[in-house]
Amino acid sequence: MIEKQLLEELLGIAVSTGADFAEVFVQQERSNQIRLLSGKIESVRDFLLAGVGIRAFLGTKTYYASTSDTSRAGLLKCAAAVAGAVGDASVPAGGLVTGLINEPVQSEKIKYLPDDVPAARKAEILREASDAAANLDEKISQVQGTYMDVDRHFLVANTEGLCREDRKIRTRLAINVVASDGGENQSGFYGPGGGMGIEFFEKVSPKAAGERAAKQALTNLSAIYCPAGTMTVAIENGFGGVIFHEACGHSLEATSVGIGASQMAGKLGQQIANPKVTAIDDGTIPHGWGSFAIDDEGNPARRNVLIENGILKNYMIDRLGSRRMGMPMTGNSRRENYTYEPTSRMTNTFIDNGPDQNEDIIASIEYGLYAKAMGGGSVNPLTGEFNFSVKEGYLVRNGKICEPVRGASLIGTGAQILRDIDMVGQNLATGQGVCGSSSGSVPTDVGQPLIRVSKITVGGRS
Amino acid sequence: MNFNEIKELLFAEAKKAGLTDYDVYFRMSSDAGAEALNKELSSCAFGTKGGVSFRCAIKGRIGSAASQCLEKDAVTSLVSRAMANAEIIDADEEPIFFEGSGKKAYRTVSVAAPALPDAAELRRAAMTLQEQLYAESELMTDGTSTAAGAALTHVALANSKGLCLSHRAGMRYTYAEAIVNDGNEPSFGSAFAATVSTDTDIAKKATAEALARLGAGAVKTGSYDVIFAAKQMRSLLSAFAGIFSGKNAMLGLSLLAGKEGQRVASELLTVIDDPFYAENPMQMPFDAEGVATKEKNLIENGVLKTLLYDLTYAKKAGKEPTGNAARGIADPVSISPYCLRIAPGKDSPAFLRQKLGNGIYINELKGLHAGADAVTGDFSIESAGFLIENGKLTKPVHSFTVAGNFFDLLKAIDGIADNVEMGLPAVSGTAAPDVLVRNLSVAGE
Repeated sequence: MIEKQLLEELLGIAVSTGADFAEVFVQQERSNQIRLLSGKIESVRDFLLAGVGIRAFLGTKTYYASTSDTSRAGLLKCAAAVAGAVGDASVPAGGLVTGLINEPVQSEKIKYLPDDVPAARKAEILREASDAAANLDEKISQVQGTYMDVDRHFLVANTEGLCREDRKIRTRLAINVVASDGGENQSGFYGPGGGMGIEFFEKVSPKAAGERAAKQALTNLSAIYCPAGTMTVAIENGFGGVIFHEACGHSLEATSVGIGASQMAGKLGQQIANPKVTAIDDGTIPHGWGSFAIDDEGNPARRNVLIENGILKNYMIDRLGSRRMGMPMTGNSRRENYTYEPTSRMTNTFIDNGPDQNEDIIASIEYGLYAKAMGGGSVNPLTGEFNFSVKEGYLVRNGKICEPVRGASLIGTGAQILRDIDMVGQNLATGQGVCGSSSGSVPTDVGQPLIRVSKITVGGRS
Repeated sequence: MNFNEIKELLFAEAKKAGLTDYDVYFRMSSDAGAEALNKELSSCAFGTKGGVSFRCAIKGRIGSAASQCLEKDAVTSLVSRAMANAEIIDADEEPIFFEGSGKKAYRTVSVAAPALPDAAELRRAAMTLQEQLYAESELMTDGTSTAAGAALTHVALANSKGLCLSHRAGMRYTYAEAIVNDGNEPSFGSAFAATVSTDTDIAKKATAEALARLGAGAVKTGSYDVIFAAKQMRSLLSAFAGIFSGKNAMLGLSLLAGKEGQRVASELLTVIDDPFYAENPMQMPFDAEGVATKEKNLIENGVLKTLLYDLTYAKKAGKEPTGNAARGIADPVSISPYCLRIAPGKDSPAFLRQKLGNGIYINELKGLHAGADAVTGDFSIESAGFLIENGKLTKPVHSFTVAGNFFDLLKAIDGIADNVEMGLPAVSGTAAPDVLVRNLSVAGE
């Protein structure tokens, strides 16, 4: 993407004023988004993102500059900006950089590259999903859909001699449905995605995706407001795993652990969760939504067991976090694009299957909530206080799933909820999301089997 | 290449391709920032980012394509890409390229774009703020962070009707996040100022907020009268900004559809969309289609006066465009407010608390992106704040949710204070005062 000699020159400039490490990140990314509204293809977003980010370290201080001007002059200016900032720190000068070896990386095989597929074929998939949603019921008043694909090509080179390139393809369908009944609207959403081209829809039916979103909107239209208070909650598999992502995952990232601003700092080896809980971050899952061959610092993706039988085993650590914490990197360094410094992020993160039968979980609840589909949420890693919304929920009485309820959210603290997950079922599945943090928005998978939380605050109507 | 060179290149390529209706939208931004953490400088960053998008109409269909790479081949290829993309669009009606609002219609903004401060000034601001925070309290602890930064943006638009507009805007900020720990549990507070300066009160503000939150307790589940602190009223308004979109209304995605001229809120409430709000340096004289922007009341004394329109949806709705077309470099035109603000009321914040009597003062709302649904109006949001007892702020409280429906909330407003606060400067920002709302559902212990 950039000649080896120029990469070496840029690295050399970046460390010329005393930095002890430098890295160049080069990115070229083609993305398409076809949007459908009211049964019609409304717009196409066709974007070439291109630029370079150069970073230098001086201990745990970082200096970063990024530019979309990838001409030689633009890149030299970018490297000089980094060197100039480091140089102000009044430290002795570093040295010349030579000997980069471009190591081959085994990127995933893709059947159909996005650019090789006509836009009309992608639009057909979108129509199929939209029509299925719109035709399900006359109360469906609006369907919005997006077909998106991304071809992310990047190169990382650093002063340790690393030079690696990777290319990752992602494809996703997102369907938003509104059901309307007089003066009231309710919504449903489904957004399946994967690390592949249009062949993703050989295993995921667009029609089924559209119907799933529509059914959720209809269910919510007939739902009563969820009662408020503390109750026992069963959270379904797939995107239900957002509970672990928010309640615990972010607090295990070096971004917060490395600066002492995480509730999980200093707890390695301790029993932090119910022994039924084993949680894993795995960036190596073939064609996973959150997978990659190498992370944005060039390290191979890994499978990291974070919690094993309730005991904290590891954190997710990037290069800066590694320096701050004195622990090895874990292949978790990510960024939305070259304008962001990378930091430790989740990939595909899930609670593993446990010992309980799913039917026993529902049967065990005398009165509570069954959260069938979850929305997004957020967390403060410092205190572990988290929240997330329930997109489709049902009350449970005497071990039976009863009437639908809407407008609920779940809140709590990570440390407490990990102990309160007291049943873990066996139908592990994942759901696709986009996670926002200091290095931008990155695609992440969340997942779990059906779990039971013995008590959690349900935000609803009192 | 600069904007003029890019424009000439694309216009020539468009003519060559036989196009008659097209526009070129350009954006170049640069930013600089410094951050400090745990009493030390932690990072310095600079960025320069440019991009151009080309849009054309063929047989009633709009196609577009965009690139950050501004080299000749990448730029000229936008024309053929946009033409190819137009082919799959379902033509609805004739696309509109605007001839302009007339020279006099474009207001001169009141704030000139400042140059980026140099790196040393930013570092000094971030580090001084660290020292100020640690001097404020012995309980200040790890994770305490500060930042200073600035950004400049140049936006330009030219089209085949002869319109050519260009505007530069800039903003500066300093930010402090205080983390204090009394040995029981940590708490945090934050504050910002729209300036790069070592002479602000934000260290004091952030520390006071963090200290006041220590020892927060639980709230009993029930129905409460609530005051949303100015900064959280801003967040709430921002989360529901989509309800004012004329496009959303037409598509059944806003419950304000068809309610222009009707009472939709308490008569105490006036909501203004203001591209020239004096407190906001990121002012815009024209929108992404070239329409002159203007200040207008969306809700006036509780009555819905207008929704927001771009050219396309104004035509469909039989209304005048309001100058609210928005566009990222890569994205198609959408509808967005500028500074969406609630007009100040007459009461002081203290008087508002007296008026409330007993209830909750909410000064933190979290996860609004997930817990607030602009289509239905429903919200259920993780919150923190203070009890209000006999008109006074008393115990800090946290880990509860506040839930309701935004359309009902607008009607249940029973007091608006005079303390309007602007959020971080942004083209699309918010400003609001403390607002008293009756009877919201709270879930706690």
